[in-house]
Amino acid sequence: MKLRSSLLVLLAAAALAATTACSPGSASGGGGDPKSFEFWSFSGIDQQHDVDIYQRNHPDIQVKLTEVGSTTETAQALATALAGGKVPDLVLIQGDDMPKFVQQPQNFLDLRERGADQMKGDYLDWVMEQATAQDGQIIGIPTDVGGMAVVYRTDLFAAAGLPTDRESVSKLWPTWDAFIETGKKYVAATGKPFVDNAPTSVFYQAVNQVSQKYYDDAGNLIYDKNPEVKAAFDTTLKALEAGISAKISFGADAWNAALPRGDFAVVSAPAWMLDQIRRAAPDTSGKWDVATIPGGAGNWGGSYLAVPARAQNPEAAWNYIKEMQSPQRQLEHFLDVGSLPTTPAVYNDPKLTGQADPFFSGAPTGQIYTQAVLGLKPFHMGPDTATIGSEFLNALTNVEQGSGNPATAWDDAVNNIRTAIGK
Amino acid sequence: MTATLSAKQVPSPGAPKRAGGWALPFRERIAPYAYIAPFFLIFGVFGLVPFLATFYIALFEWNPIGDQTFTGVDNFTRMLADPRFWNATSNTIRIWLLSTIPQLAIALVLAHVLNHARLRAAVFFRMAILVPFITSVAATAIVFAQMFDRDYGLLNWLLGLVGISSIDFVQSVWGSHLMIAVMVAWRWCGYNTLLYLAALQAVPRDVYEAAAIDGAGGWRQFRHITVPALRPIIIFTIVTSTIGGLQIFTEPLLVARTTNLTCGAVRQCQTLTLFLYEQGFGRYEFGYGSAIGVALFVMIILIAAVNYLLSSRIRGEGR
Repeated sequence: MKLRSSLLVLLAAAALAATTACSPGSASGGGGDPKSFEFWSFSGIDQQHDVDIYQRNHPDIQVKLTEVGSTTETAQALATALAGGKVPDLVLIQGDDMPKFVQQPQNFLDLRERGADQMKGDYLDWVMEQATAQDGQIIGIPTDVGGMAVVYRTDLFAAAGLPTDRESVSKLWPTWDAFIETGKKYVAATGKPFVDNAPTSVFYQAVNQVSQKYYDDAGNLIYDKNPEVKAAFDTTLKALEAGISAKISFGADAWNAALPRGDFAVVSAPAWMLDQIRRAAPDTSGKWDVATIPGGAGNWGGSYLAVPARAQNPEAAWNYIKEMQSPQRQLEHFLDVGSLPTTPAVYNDPKLTGQADPFFSGAPTGQIYTQAVLGLKPFHMGPDTATIGSEFLNALTNVEQGSGNPATAWDDAVNNIRTAIGK
Repeated sequence: MTATLSAKQVPSPGAPKRAGGWALPFRERIAPYAYIAPFFLIFGVFGLVPFLATFYIALFEWNPIGDQTFTGVDNFTRMLADPRFWNATSNTIRIWLLSTIPQLAIALVLAHVLNHARLRAAVFFRMAILVPFITSVAATAIVFAQMFDRDYGLLNWLLGLVGISSIDFVQSVWGSHLMIAVMVAWRWCGYNTLLYLAALQAVPRDVYEAAAIDGAGGWRQFRHITVPALRPIIIFTIVTSTIGGLQIFTEPLLVARTTNLTCGAVRQCQTLTLFLYEQGFGRYEFGYGSAIGVALFVMIILIAAVNYLLSSRIRGEGR
């Protein structure tokens, strides 16, 4: 008995020690070994390509690249490491995961100290804004953006009596209301749904075409009274009421199954989604084209490179960022791998505008997508931006799937947000 | 380490008092503790410490990469007022009931059939029944989610053949619960069957033969021989499937992959463990997540206690 109780006391003490030791370390990294650094990336974005180029140019430097897993898994691994483990020197963070880290900037190196202040003019202002903390600390340098366009099936449009060339199609929908009207015409002519789903193809796009989103510029929550958000929400409800949606969420197995069958004719697609369409429906090559997004601007996705404060070799990591994320390198990365540059200086480069994609009827994707990201304005993002966004999406998905009441959907969403974030 | 150190100071208390016990060399005296130390060390690191830490963290507003503020029982009062917590609780209990009861009933019948003397290729069937159990949970969830799909699923295709319009299983509350329950039952049924079968092997064959001679049919044999013989093992499987059933996680995480942390747009199949995970690792609210963990622990203890009381009663009747 005595043995057991003394053991318990010891273990309890160990538990307390372990948990209190978990608070994030504050010591900022020193110079370390400038000849090597550890780099965590997520998979599917081909950072290996950049690393290979860097190693070729700097044979003396050793880059240890680890593909941790999906974007979320990488962010979770980073959070765990920051909370009390061995951190990498350089880490790639997906845009959706950024706010949680930007809220806790003490975990990261302030890149202003390394000269990010001079560089930040090279990148889109609203992209930089999302990597900038309240006190002005810059925690990440953007590597790519998603952009936004509408991808549509030319053969299905022709069958519905709609124009098929991308200029005329873009003119069909200068606004979301016009987009919904076009959808109605398509449904009337074919009897088939028009768009894959309204929550991501309409709401998620419209709600980013605003001057303020869920927070005002001072960082106060305005999600429940911002007329711009309400308008985006109501537009989506209108699209649902019009019956133009196939009600298939992006990311579901059904989405991939529907593509080759032509069970919907349009989808709001960021640049990175083009490859998924290509792979899901290889037999439809040449039957797709790319038009501009209603409202003219949009983005979905994009990533940042950041250096943890406790990094062993911050110098080597920073040198890598500085060299590999220059406008010229981002252009080359686009030409090789396809992710969209975040540096407007190269948006008019003939190499970018001249890129044509045969799968999408020769559409100049580089040109269309970069125009979409130029139209966005910076807005303030807060700690709960992601949660608020997903609660709004869920409320709309619930209406779309037939269980939610459109008349109360807005109030339901606001109530759910209040429960989730407590304010 | 702790175990061996403590063992030095404490004169092995549980050991029977034998003459000459102290005369053993030191190394031999600590040997038993050294042998069991690995288990207790690993249990301490991966079991006890996180377990105790959960209770401690639940008293804080705890951001793993930010501030940790002591808030007392705030997390618990918030949890009791949180409709999402009660939603997850009722989802968990309903999925548990929906999966456990049919699963154990089917397992019982299957075990009875597999134990039949005249069954041909018995070894094959007994092996085959365990195949779902060795299939990965993730693979199971993905395949079942495809089968239950609204537009392209096998099940809705079959329903369509007999003129029933498509059912959106994932989106509806009962549909999603049913779907998860089917997955859980499919996976664990074979395992429970095997446990029952092992217990049945101990029942002398002549009991069945005598009953058959006396004119008892299959049902009466099942009712009056199989079930009473299996009483202790039935209680064991009820307890284990209760503990497992209250911790269902992977299936709800994977069936609604576009809204995976909530298992659907209105949390229609979000279980307690998934809610815990959403709060802890989706929103980095470790304190709130830990409070949910503590609540789950209390629930399991309560249900286990009820189980124990009920089962000791059944055992009493059985005698």
